[in-house]
Amino acid sequence: MTERNDNDAAARRDFLRLSGVGAAVAAGVAATATLSAQQAAAQAPAGSTLRTVLNRGKLVVGTGSTNAPWHFEDDKGQLTGMDIAVARILARGLFDDPSKVEFVRQEPAARIPNITTGKVDIVIQFMTMSPARAQLVNFSRPYYIEGVALLTSSRGKLKTHKELVDAGRSARASVLQNVDADKLVAKALPSATVLQLDTQANVIQALDSGRVDAAVVDLSTVGWLVKRNPDKYLDSGFHYETMLYGAAMRQGDLDWSRFVDTCLNVNMHGHQTDMYDRALDEFFGAKPPRRTPGFPNI
Amino acid sequence: MIDFALRTLPFLWDGLLVTLHVSAVVLVVSLVLGVAAGVGFAYGPLWVRAPLRLCSDVLRGTPLLVLIFCVYYLLPFAGLNLQPFPAAVIALSAFKAAHVAEIARGAISSIAPGQSDAGKAIGLTFAQRLAWVVFPQALRRFLPPWVNSVTDTVKGSSLVSLVGIVDLMLAAQQVIGRTYEPLPVYVLAALMYFAINYALSVASRRLEARFAYIRE
Repeated sequence: MTERNDNDAAARRDFLRLSGVGAAVAAGVAATATLSAQQAAAQAPAGSTLRTVLNRGKLVVGTGSTNAPWHFEDDKGQLTGMDIAVARILARGLFDDPSKVEFVRQEPAARIPNITTGKVDIVIQFMTMSPARAQLVNFSRPYYIEGVALLTSSRGKLKTHKELVDAGRSARASVLQNVDADKLVAKALPSATVLQLDTQANVIQALDSGRVDAAVVDLSTVGWLVKRNPDKYLDSGFHYETMLYGAAMRQGDLDWSRFVDTCLNVNMHGHQTDMYDRALDEFFGAKPPRRTPGFPNI
Repeated sequence: MIDFALRTLPFLWDGLLVTLHVSAVVLVVSLVLGVAAGVGFAYGPLWVRAPLRLCSDVLRGTPLLVLIFCVYYLLPFAGLNLQPFPAAVIALSAFKAAHVAEIARGAISSIAPGQSDAGKAIGLTFAQRLAWVVFPQALRRFLPPWVNSVTDTVKGSSLVSLVGIVDLMLAAQQVIGRTYEPLPVYVLAALMYFAINYALSVASRRLEARFAYIRE
């Protein structure tokens, strides 16, 4: 009997303990419910980067700091550029405050590793969307379509695309190290000698110092440089290739991907296009096509 | 040109401070760990020496860049997600400590065993023999190669820019990214690196002269 009584007492104690835990859980649930009424953070599904970012109160963006007009430091040492503008557009969508972004500076080669190891929430760093990369990361919708162009020097012998092609093997072209960089040059200059270099600045430095006749760089860079130094640089007049630039995120987080897409759509085609349009003008001297109501041509 | 350099200097200056910071931390950590490991090499039993030998060979046989990427990108898979600065400092310190350990080992074992035996004969303990007999003599053989490795540390610290730390190297790259004028910026950065390393080698010559009093 004594044993049974002891067991009963133990069972009672366990029951009391359990109900205590239950009360605590209930209180916790109640607190969460109250919180969710106060802040949208709790609405985002648990485990999503969207929830993490909202709770943290700032967006952590992986980007570079050495490539104008995409991401570079202005005269005051502040990061600026088209990629930076897109990051601020997302911060406005998340917090109604474009300044709530922390930028993690990274090399282009670190773009995918920094996503897969969770160092950043999103990478916005002139990243070309490709099926191969899409096997490793989720891309947002494209926020720009980049082209390729040949930058030539006003002091050089070969200035136009025709002169470069006619020079054949003796034409030399510099290009940023990348997958298929040789093929990229060959599409414009089939027999040119290719010099692959590690940074965009060195690709252009090779042109400045006469080591190459043309720098094969992004159309946006050619536009930016020719606009700033019209007596130093020329646009050879040949533009080709289209490349979609998108932001990249970790896979398996559809809520986060959908949020970024929606935010970009609204900022490129919806009712909040001011920041996007300003950036497009400031960094590329371009204007978006007129947006018309009716059929959603996006 | 001078005007451009003056406008560039404030940006490079911040990077220079980061380079000095990284170098100083790595220097102190690698010196402490390296000398301890060197003593282990010279006097330790096999179960101390064998793992030390393995670590030292692996660390010295791995390119520094690979080591930095390993700490930064591989440790997250083991649940340790480090910020760029600690990751880079850990990698550099480990690499440097392995080199310092070899320098210390060589310096200590180059002192004739008779010196230590003499110390033992007059009743000095192991710690006393190290402090009063072996280390003072080993120091002057340790200094020249160690200063070489210090200047290597300063130059090797430029690799931290690859994990996004804005040191002198990345600060220079950033100015170039904005201005597209690489040459003057690279020259300026090279002058800064040279200034640090020249100061170090002058200091080391003084130091060597200071410890040259022991005659053999």
